[in-house]
Amino acid sequence: MTTSKPKVSVSNIHELGLLIACILVLLIFSFTAPNFFTERNLLSILRSASYVGLVAFPMTFVLISREIDISVGPSVAYSGVLFACLIKWYGFSYPLAAVVVLFWGLFIGYIVGIVRTKLFVPTFITTLALWSALRGLALWQTDGVPVMVGSKPFRYFFGGDILGLPTVSWIMLIVFVIFWFLSTYTVLGTNIYAVGGNPKAARSVGINVDRIKIYTLIATSFFSAVVGILFVARVSSGNSTVGEGMEFDVIAAVVVGGTALGGAVGRMTGTLLGVIFIAMIGNGLVHWGIDPDLNKVVRGIIIFLAVVINSNLTLKSNTGPKGDD
Amino acid sequence: MTILNLKNISKNFGAIVALDGVSLDLKEGEVLGLMGDNGAGKSTLIKIIAGNFKQSDGEMLFEDQNVEFNKPMDARNKGIEVVYQDLALCDNLTAASNIFLTREPKKKIGPFGLIDFTKMFEKAKQLFAELKSETLPNETVRMMSGGQRQAVALARTKLSKAKVVLLDEPTAAISVRQVAEVLELIRQLKKQGISVVIISHRMPDVFAVSDRIAVLRRGKLVANKLAKNSSPEEVTALITGAIETA
Repeated sequence: MTTSKPKVSVSNIHELGLLIACILVLLIFSFTAPNFFTERNLLSILRSASYVGLVAFPMTFVLISREIDISVGPSVAYSGVLFACLIKWYGFSYPLAAVVVLFWGLFIGYIVGIVRTKLFVPTFITTLALWSALRGLALWQTDGVPVMVGSKPFRYFFGGDILGLPTVSWIMLIVFVIFWFLSTYTVLGTNIYAVGGNPKAARSVGINVDRIKIYTLIATSFFSAVVGILFVARVSSGNSTVGEGMEFDVIAAVVVGGTALGGAVGRMTGTLLGVIFIAMIGNGLVHWGIDPDLNKVVRGIIIFLAVVINSNLTLKSNTGPKGDD
Repeated sequence: MTILNLKNISKNFGAIVALDGVSLDLKEGEVLGLMGDNGAGKSTLIKIIAGNFKQSDGEMLFEDQNVEFNKPMDARNKGIEVVYQDLALCDNLTAASNIFLTREPKKKIGPFGLIDFTKMFEKAKQLFAELKSETLPNETVRMMSGGQRQAVALARTKLSKAKVVLLDEPTAAISVRQVAEVLELIRQLKKQGISVVIISHRMPDVFAVSDRIAVLRRGKLVANKLAKNSSPEEVTALITGAIETA
C-alpha cells in the first residue's frame, strides 16, 4: 500500500511564486521609491487593495465556474450614484438606501445569471452591455456631477479606520475568510469547482449547474454594490466616474493569483496575493514618478507578464478543463 | 439468480428500428460482454437499461419486479449505474471529491455543515482497497492514469451500492498496461457479486473478463452464449453477419 504524502501542488507553486514576487516588489519599491515604505503609504496600498479584493474573491468563483463579469467598474459607480441619489434626492435613510442598493446588486447579478443560463448569452456579452449601460446611467442620472452626501458617522466609520486599519480592509479580510472557507470546506465550494472542471459530469451527478453559476454571478454583483457604497463613504459623494478600469484590476488580480480564465482552477489565497501584488505595483509606479498615462502602460505590461508566467505554470501540469457545457 | 431480465425490448426512433425484440438476462455477479458493430443497437439498449430512453415495446424486470425508468435517476435509485467512456470525472478535483460529489460526508460545527474530509478520504481509501486499486484518495484526477481514472469512476458506483454496472468502452482510450488494471477492477466487482455489462469493440478484453457474450446485429440479438463456448472468430463473424446466429 502506498502511503500518501503531502505534495507541492500546482496551486501551491503559484502562490509561493507570487508570494516571492510580492516580497521582491515590496523590496524594490522600498529601496528605490522615497516614501513607499511608510506606514501611511502601506495603509494606502492596503486600502486600495481592499476595494479590489472585495470583488476579486467572488470573481474567483465566477472564473472558476467558467464565466466572467466585466461590468465591475460601472457597477460600482452606479451603485454609489444610486445610493447617494436615494439619500440626497429621495430622503432615504442611510441603512435603507444601503439595503436598496444591495438588493439592486443582487438583482443585476441574478439577471446576468438568468440571461446566461436560460437564454444562453455568454456572460462576457451581457456584462459588456452592462459595462456601457451602467456607466451611462450613472452619468445621465447625475449629469456627471458628484452627488454630495456623507454624514460624519457614515464617513468616519466606513471611510475611516478601526484599530489602525481601514474599515474596508477589515471588511475585506472578513469576506476573504468567508470565501476561503466556502471554497475549501463546503459542498457549495466543491460544487463550484466541479462545475468548472466538468459541467457535464457535474450535471450528471445532480449538481444544479445553472444555479451554481447564478450564485457566483450574484455574489460578484452584490460585492460591486458593497464597494459602491464604501466608495461613497470614502469620497463623500456618489460619483459617476469612480471605479474606472476596476474590472481590469479585479480580473488581473484573480488571474495573477493563479485562477485560470478557462475555469476549474483557482484559490482564494492566490487571489488575495494577486490583489496585493496589483495594488503594490499601481502605488509603487506612482512613487517612481512615472507619468500617470505611462503608468497604465507599465502596469499593463507587468500584469501581462505575470499572467503569461502563471498560465504557463498551469499548462505544464494541466490538460485544461475537460468536457463541455 | 437473475437480477435483470429484458423481455422483447424494442425501440424505434420514427421509422428507424434500433432494437427489435431483444430478450436478455443478467445474473447476479455475472460479467456480460455486449458486442456489435456501430449502429447495432448496443448504446440504445444500454440507454434503455439506464433510464435515458424508454423502450417502445417489451418489458424490463429488475430483481423480478417490473420496472419503468423515466429518467436516469430512476435506474440509479434501483442500483443500476453507467460508467460512460468519458467517465464523467472532474479533472480538477481529488479522487475522493469525485467519488463523493453531492454525497460528501458532513460534520456539523455550530450552524455550518462542513465536509468531513477525514471520513471522506478514509472511506475512499477503503473503496479503492476493495477494488484492489492503489489509487490515492487525495490525488487530483488530472494527474492520474487511465486505469486510475476508471478506478475512481468504479469506486463511485460502489459508493452508490450499485448492483448492476454498465461499462461503456472501458478499455478504449488507455494503454495496454492499464487495460490489465481495468480488467482486474472488473473482476473485483464480479467477486463482490456485482453484475457487470461491458460494451467494447476490443475482442480480447471482452473475452478476458466475460462469462457470457451477447451479440447484437441491426437491432436483433443474434447470439447469447457462454464465453467459453464461443470464440473471437465466431463473434467477429456474428458481428459482421458472416454467421447469422449462434
